[in-house]
Amino acid sequence: MNAAPALALFLTPALPAGLALAAGALLLRLEHRGRPLAALGPLAALVLLALALARAPLAGPALAPLAAGLVAAALARDRANLLHSECALKLLWVMGGALALSHAGLSLLTLATGVGPVGEQWGVLRLGLTPQPVWSAALPLALLAGLVMLGGAPFHFWVADLFQGARPSLAPLAVAALQAAGAAWIAWRLGGIAGFPEGATLARVVLATAAIAVFLASAGTLVSQRRPERRVGTLASLQAGLALSGLAATLAPGAGAHEAAWRLAPWAAHLALALTGAAALARFMPVPASPDAPGGALFRRHPASGLAGLFALFSLAGVPGTPGAQLWLDAARGLSAAGQTGALLALGAGWVAAFATVMQQVREAFGVASRTPPERAVPWEARAALWTAGAGLVALAVAWRIAGRP
Amino acid sequence: MTPLAAPRPGPRVTGGLLCAAGFALLAWDGLLAAALGAELLATAFWWWARASDDPARHLPRWEWLRRPAAALWLAMAGAAAAPAGAPGPWRALEAGAGVWAGLELLAALPLARPFSDLPGPLLALGPWLPAVLPAAGFVVLWRLQEHWLGVAHVRDAAAALLLVTAALAALRAFARRRWTAGLRWLMVGDGALAGLLVAVRAVPPAASLLLWLSASGAHAFLLGAELSGAVPRRGPVLSAIWRATTWTASAALAWPMLLAVGARFGAHGPLWFLAAAAPVALVAWVNVARMVEAPERRAVDRPGTGIALSRVAPLFALAGVPVALAIASWSGPPVGWGAALLALAPAAVGGLGGLLTFRGIAPGAIAAAADEPARTDRLAVWGRAARQTARRVFRLVTALERTIADRVVWLLRLPAAPLRDLHSGDAQEYLLLLVGVAVLAVVLPLLG
Repeated sequence: MNAAPALALFLTPALPAGLALAAGALLLRLEHRGRPLAALGPLAALVLLALALARAPLAGPALAPLAAGLVAAALARDRANLLHSECALKLLWVMGGALALSHAGLSLLTLATGVGPVGEQWGVLRLGLTPQPVWSAALPLALLAGLVMLGGAPFHFWVADLFQGARPSLAPLAVAALQAAGAAWIAWRLGGIAGFPEGATLARVVLATAAIAVFLASAGTLVSQRRPERRVGTLASLQAGLALSGLAATLAPGAGAHEAAWRLAPWAAHLALALTGAAALARFMPVPASPDAPGGALFRRHPASGLAGLFALFSLAGVPGTPGAQLWLDAARGLSAAGQTGALLALGAGWVAAFATVMQQVREAFGVASRTPPERAVPWEARAALWTAGAGLVALAVAWRIAGRP
Repeated sequence: MTPLAAPRPGPRVTGGLLCAAGFALLAWDGLLAAALGAELLATAFWWWARASDDPARHLPRWEWLRRPAAALWLAMAGAAAAPAGAPGPWRALEAGAGVWAGLELLAALPLARPFSDLPGPLLALGPWLPAVLPAAGFVVLWRLQEHWLGVAHVRDAAAALLLVTAALAALRAFARRRWTAGLRWLMVGDGALAGLLVAVRAVPPAASLLLWLSASGAHAFLLGAELSGAVPRRGPVLSAIWRATTWTASAALAWPMLLAVGARFGAHGPLWFLAAAAPVALVAWVNVARMVEAPERRAVDRPGTGIALSRVAPLFALAGVPVALAIASWSGPPVGWGAALLALAPAAVGGLGGLLTFRGIAPGAIAAAADEPARTDRLAVWGRAARQTARRVFRLVTALERTIADRVVWLLRLPAAPLRDLHSGDAQEYLLLLVGVAVLAVVLPLLG
């Protein structure tokens, strides 16, 4: 059998989203052991989230409110779980408000230009009939929903909250779907902006500034975080910085705006798998009370499974040799080519902080050498989820190497 | 029948393998290999620390070793992301990060200066282990020299830091009463002087490596021997041989550096020469005066104690010196007799001073642990006072450095506090923050 077609499936987010769904289903089985019917509702939500993620690079503006609503509903469904309810409430507050503000920005642009379709608005604005303060205020507002859904600073805390508060079966797919929807929102809003250079310049400044804020705030946050789930959340926020950097680079003079959607596909594919593996791993990572605390059960009983999960965490942080490192490198090269030195330096700071954090996490996971066997076992479903994500990332790396990046 | 259990190497073996692999990669060409090597070295220390008798003490103590690794990863990433024909800032980032790693391992940065005062995390080899780090630091600086020698301000800053380190290491080696601790600091001094040799481009790379191997190798051998019977100090002949070996090797390392340093820095040359000559003289003094013959209680050598190896090792240690000096003399400009003698003077004066001080001390008067000698003559009183002064100067400088470093860290952390206070976790704050950012997003472009 020719392996190339199978690997080609990894070049879009469809198969990675499917693997993330499979891992989520395994974790769901673990959470609802002995109650298969109770798992049907959450499974349906996972399927929808995976679909949203798979379609994100080609999706329009409708995906953002649908994904936000779906995640909030899936969280709120488990009424007995207070953390779920709190996360749902927070998401509704921040995303509902962001979407409302962005729609206000869109409406302002429509009013100012007199046309509805985005592509036509740039042409009208280029005529210079609309006062500059109007479109320069409306454009950042229109991008706000995407920035919030990406989890960019100062909205990076919802991602960490979700990873800490939501069940491990739901959190990674929910975050990946929301982030991909946010990136798709920005890509949609900026479609064709190359035809209006002043707008492209403003959008590039806004996106680069947002990327700098993401990298610096996430780097600062990572240093002070102790809980593995929150660390994964902040690493996910750094992925938002990569998306914003990629989008900003495509707006540099000479780059085609169509490239924005083109770059989202590998980013979303990687996000789905890396978040799935890292989130599952985080649940089995200890939060050491002292430097000489023993390691967690996973690394003491099943070090190979732990390493499979670590590959996902490493990829999220861009450790060289992982597919995530390629995304970090692409973002750095893009910023370098676009002349965004400030964003580039911030990216470097974010990368170093991410790298240091995952190395610290590895050491805490292994802990101090101990002869006492761990008390609790690690269920096979969790280990299978780790292997699924790890194997998916390896396949992704191989596919990118053989077929080239989409 | 009992099934064969898979062999599980203990922490000592695992850490040793990681350390060896780390060194091999550091010596390999390229930034990726260097970064991986530094990471493996840090992992080796962590592996030993987590299995040590006191992990709560050793794990935080050796945590800083990840910093040089991170610096090398950053240098590698900078080189990978740089466009073709990258401009100055890219090269400065690459050079600065690479040099940072080398200097920090070499104790040339104020952040991790005193590690050579502390024993390593492995019980059996604890006093020897920290000596690995300055060696790694020099290897990083030497291997990556093409990445940082071309960036003038990075090179000059590195030279200044190495000079300060050489002086501090000499002072500390002089001040410490324990010979093992003194040897560790002598190795730091060797690395710093050899780094300076590289920074001023005094000799070709092969020659600087050979000279460092001779000087540092001799000290490393002595340090290793101290942990297994102090064989090189047994008997007057052997101790004299080793005294001459370390003196010669250190003098050979310093000589081309002193020759070049005066010419390299133009008008400031004499100042640099004097600043470099002082630690060279002190190192020579310590090499000669502190190498005290250990009392031998046995009439016949016990087999397997390493006597034969201790007799042969000086040959290996000194073998590189003439080769390196020959390479240097062939490749460099001719040197006048006056300059050559002047450059040799600090080591000669220090060594002769050490010989004068050392003569008259009977074997056994200073024990291996080098307790305070029971002498009350004027020389001994001066020696004690000088050692105390050296100790105070070292502590003053390191305390000052520490204070400055802490202040910088405090300043860097200052913005983090309001960042944390920005969000207390209440859901309502999400909306407030959102409105705030939206207002900013609207107002800022208007102001522009």
